[in-house]
Amino acid sequence: MTSRGIWGRYLLPLFVAKLYLFLYVPLIILIVFSFNDNRLGFDWVGFTTRWYVSAWKNQEMWRSLHTSLVVACSSVVLCLSMSTLFVFYGTRSFVRRAMALFYGNLAIPEIVLAVGLMSLFYFFSIPLSISTLIAAHTVLGLGYVVPIVHDRYVELDNRFVEASMDLGATQWQTFRRVVLPLLFPALLTSALLVFIISFDDFVLSFFCSGGSTVTLPMFIFAKIRSGSSPLVSALSTMLLLLSSIVVLLFLALQSRKWGQLR
Amino acid sequence: MKRLANNFLQEIPFLCSMPAIAWQIFFMVAPVGIIFYFSLMRPGFIVTLDHYRGLLHTSYFLIIFRSLLLATLMAFTAFFLAYPVAYFIAMRAKKYKTVLLFFLTLPFWVNFLVQIYAWYFLLERNGLINKLLLTIGIIQEPLMLSSSLFAIFLVMVYCYLPFMIMPLYNMLEKIDPRLLEASSDLGATPWQTFYRVTFPLSLPGVKTGLLLVMIPAFGEFVIPSLLGGGKNMLVGTLISYFFLVARNNASGAAFTCLSALALLLTVILFYAVSRLWVVSKIVERK
Repeated sequence: MTSRGIWGRYLLPLFVAKLYLFLYVPLIILIVFSFNDNRLGFDWVGFTTRWYVSAWKNQEMWRSLHTSLVVACSSVVLCLSMSTLFVFYGTRSFVRRAMALFYGNLAIPEIVLAVGLMSLFYFFSIPLSISTLIAAHTVLGLGYVVPIVHDRYVELDNRFVEASMDLGATQWQTFRRVVLPLLFPALLTSALLVFIISFDDFVLSFFCSGGSTVTLPMFIFAKIRSGSSPLVSALSTMLLLLSSIVVLLFLALQSRKWGQLR
Repeated sequence: MKRLANNFLQEIPFLCSMPAIAWQIFFMVAPVGIIFYFSLMRPGFIVTLDHYRGLLHTSYFLIIFRSLLLATLMAFTAFFLAYPVAYFIAMRAKKYKTVLLFFLTLPFWVNFLVQIYAWYFLLERNGLINKLLLTIGIIQEPLMLSSSLFAIFLVMVYCYLPFMIMPLYNMLEKIDPRLLEASSDLGATPWQTFYRVTFPLSLPGVKTGLLLVMIPAFGEFVIPSLLGGGKNMLVGTLISYFFLVARNNASGAAFTCLSALALLLTVILFYAVSRLWVVSKIVERK
């Protein structure tokens, strides 16, 4: 690494800095203008926090947030339990062959899945509701979680499981006392991933929830459709803050857990 | 009877592994199958190609072509933006690596709609960019930035960039630095090392990244429906129009199948071209 030339020394870092600017400038402007005391335009009138107050008091927002949280948490529980059971109890050759089924989720555009699910529910005359929404989000999550959990499970030293069985543990005890703790980091990552995917998802929610169930992204979408409003800026800023805290928390938790295992 | 019960008990572990499969089949395989079924069936269980025949119109093919072009162009733009950054973080960042990665992935965890809204806010008719240009005096009339293909393209690049950077970074991170040292010890210039060693080793990441970006971009629904202004129909918006507005499930299903086929053919084409490229490289070396 002696001579890097002008490209390596100056242009590359400059390019990287510019890309970070590209990523963050829109978000920063959004945050700044959420404090602007101007209903319609972009002229800076004065500092205010009233958009935050009105977002906080918006009943519709709280209802949609509640729906989103219920759906996200249910999908996390369903995804994690199903994929762990699948990986642990399925015989190896069966699991390996069945894995191909789960890679499909990433290869299909989401809108195809969305209209497909909608047609399926329509075909069997299942009314669209929060349960159909949970079913849809769970299948989206499975595509990510099964490969993650499977990879981790295959990496595990099989001797742990064998030793546990030799020492007289039942399969369930082995699962609870040996496999589950070893899988924990992978499960934590998957849980966060599924939660975010579900909480973030708009397309599946839009097609599979029927008229009465409104998730938070759907609420924001409707608000944006009817023109920009400072309320959305305030709400977006709060969401930004929330997700940064969650990610930081997650990183801290993860590094501590890994530290312990080492 | 008791033996039957015993046999059943023995199968319980296997049954425990079933819910995931069942869920996947019922909510993933069946919906895709039913779309295919709807596209081919007429009331009274008669197989027909009428729904496809109804789509034999230039405008539909134009929409598929436009979406494919946009997705491809977008994926390659994202690739050219992402590669230097992934390279920098993997090879040069050293102690700032964690911080840079954190700030790179943060927008990914932020709600998709918040990201789109941030751009909508900038690009709108009385948005910040128009305001700025008007004050400086470059333009007299506000530009229609928010309802153009360019806006869709820009925001797609913004939203999908992390999906491109992560696989590239993962691949570049795994490269053994000793290989690069060996290459430069053997007299290669930094550019030659990059072109002959680093880049070929990162190719699997390039492929994953392009696919991860192209597939969702092709069927993107939210970005064009918020920024497209209704005139720039893309595959995602047209499918939703068929199913939600026109309530024409059969044509919608046929169009969905047709677009999926177009996407599949494009991906196969890419794969073939990349294969040919690799083969020609090997032949060249011999």
